[in-house]
Amino acid sequence: MTDAWDDEELLAVLRHALSSHRAVPAEFVEAGRNAFAWHDIDGELAQLTYDSVSGPDLVTGTRSEPATVRSLTFTSPQLTIELEVTADSLLGQIVPTQVATIEVHTQAGPETVISSDEIGCFLIHPMPRNPFRLRCQTATGVDVLTSWITL
Amino acid sequence: MWSICGRYQLGREEIDDVGQTVWLLLVEKIGSLREPAALPGWLATTTQRECLRVLQAARRHGRAELPPEDQMPPDPDARMIEEELLAAERDAAVRAAFDELPPGCRELLSMLVSDPPRAYADISAALGMQIGSIGPTRARCLDRLRRSPRVAAIAGAKAGSTRVKQAGGGRK
Repeated sequence: MTDAWDDEELLAVLRHALSSHRAVPAEFVEAGRNAFAWHDIDGELAQLTYDSVSGPDLVTGTRSEPATVRSLTFTSPQLTIELEVTADSLLGQIVPTQVATIEVHTQAGPETVISSDEIGCFLIHPMPRNPFRLRCQTATGVDVLTSWITL
Repeated sequence: MWSICGRYQLGREEIDDVGQTVWLLLVEKIGSLREPAALPGWLATTTQRECLRVLQAARRHGRAELPPEDQMPPDPDARMIEEELLAAERDAAVRAAFDELPPGCRELLSMLVSDPPRAYADISAALGMQIGSIGPTRARCLDRLRRSPRVAAIAGAKAGSTRVKQAGGGRK
């Protein structure tokens, strides 16, 4: 037991253990629990496959020049969702182009529901609160959910 | 997660942002995580990545109140992740062992580690315990804590205790 903490060390360890735990606000922990409520949504996941501002420099931490218009692409096997971020809204298009129902989901649940026009275009205004995701349901029964988006 | 965000000196709103994103990513990925033991590492790494992303986004928007870059932990910082994981594991074990102590021990030890520190006379009055018996009771309670299997299992992590002493007082 030569490796065991002496009294002072053990008190220091205990102080850290108790204070680090108290430092975490209850709402922060609660938000984690709430996130699991989304676990059971059906719908195929569309992953982010392109982001004009990220690229490799998002990971390395070097600064990137701000793009004039940020564009994002979400891809699933059946559907691609393209988004352009403007100052106060999101312009989107579904490919293949078709009429579809688009739901904006935030942490609080589904919020806005809109429709794309016959060439698959839609406008989301105002900008949803971060983070959000889009669910896209087509007349042919395709149900696609993007990964979470934080702009 | 909280303490990694703290290292990047993020504001409360940004920490909430990181937290939400990490939990949501976890919900998305949980089906593909095969090894439960890998979860803490995944959470820590993802949290760090999200902190960096939030900081980058804030810089893009020209936020001036962010700490200068030379005060940031270097990244990618595998050692920081490793330290945080060890600290989180140690803290969880010590808290669990503490929760199993008799109520009298928990009360006394809580007062002994309180910040700001409380005088023995104060503790004596609060717990109705003679000043002369605080020292021996403290030793007995700490010994119980030390002999708890949970704490004994992490005794190998003692090397980290010097860091705890340094960091302990400063943490919120």
